[in-house]
Amino acid sequence: MRSRSVALAVAAAFALSASATLFSQQAGRGGGAPAAPSPPAPARDLSGVWMMRNPPGINGPWTNYTYTDPMKAPPSLTAWGEAEFKKARDSNGGNYTLDETNDPVLTKCYPPGVPRVYFHPYPFEVVQTPKQTLLIYEYDHWMRRVNTDGRALPKDPDQLWMGTSVGKWIDDHNFQVETVGFNTKTWLDRLGHAHSEDLKVTENFRRVDRDHLQVDIKMEDPKALAKPWVTTFYYENRPNWELGEISCSGDYLDWTQVEKGGKEYKR
Amino acid sequence: MTRKLMFLLGLIAVLTFGARPALAHHGGAAFDQTKTQTLTGTVTRMDFVNPHVVVYMNVQNPDGTTTEWSGWLTAPNKLQRAGWTKNTLKPGDKVTLVGNQQKNGSPVLQIRKVTGPEGDLPTFEQ
Repeated sequence: MRSRSVALAVAAAFALSASATLFSQQAGRGGGAPAAPSPPAPARDLSGVWMMRNPPGINGPWTNYTYTDPMKAPPSLTAWGEAEFKKARDSNGGNYTLDETNDPVLTKCYPPGVPRVYFHPYPFEVVQTPKQTLLIYEYDHWMRRVNTDGRALPKDPDQLWMGTSVGKWIDDHNFQVETVGFNTKTWLDRLGHAHSEDLKVTENFRRVDRDHLQVDIKMEDPKALAKPWVTTFYYENRPNWELGEISCSGDYLDWTQVEKGGKEYKR
Repeated sequence: MTRKLMFLLGLIAVLTFGARPALAHHGGAAFDQTKTQTLTGTVTRMDFVNPHVVVYMNVQNPDGTTTEWSGWLTAPNKLQRAGWTKNTLKPGDKVTLVGNQQKNGSPVLQIRKVTGPEGDLPTFEQ
């Protein structure tokens, strides 16, 4: 564990130094603190395209691959959670090849699960309909249907990649989403923290003003986490953006050919 | 001890590099991040496709021979939002690529900067 931790830190430092402008696919903060306040947020409206813009320092250099600084606030794991974590070969910070990590999103194109889905450097879009709010993620077209018709969470949910969600407005600017019913094939983050089928994720989407969205995330999983793991992500509205196409299967896995020195993909 | 070392390394990274978060879907470990190369040549084609836009370019070697390099960019979605199109670079364009070469010596470059016929090409919002 010690060597693993040191390796992690070295990898993080190296990856930070290696982050490139044109090549790397970064989610990021893009210039410091969240931008100046904008006009007030419309009531009960999250619609639009949102891009992560975490302010500096909220999680040290770990912002975009785990939820809390492992130095200052490591997640409180159960014995099972710790044992599972030791099996992980993380995909932190960009300093890895596909042969070196066992992140299932990268190596198998598995759906990312929740909230791992937020660790992609791509925007997501919110579409509101009378009975559902759709969360559409540019990365691999993943979509979550958040039921807003008043139904309760299922007591015995099916095990799904992205879970089953219900949502409700707490007030005019806070929309709470609860999600249960996950399979156990996904990670919670890019360091490889595991979860069980009992994971429950609660997200509170707070539209701070017209252009800013704050997402408070709470992960509860008695089998994996000794106590709930909480974090906050920050987003900015991008009114002129449209989501594009991304396909992990095929396209992303072919990258290993380039890592081995290929000049192009051979398909 | 380990925690102290992690903190120190993290702090160094933050202070040195401004805490830029690195969240590449694909890692950069296949490329030599310690050396930056500058290559000037002629574009033979550009593939504006997922997961990485690729620029193919003929570069003349000191001995007079020519090598075709491939240069790898980020996803087309990001470049598109910055103003790139599939026609931003065309065969015959003279370009300069700055980046990191494949560690095994292959003529494959992780691109950090592109200068086209009309100057530096736009970077994208991370």
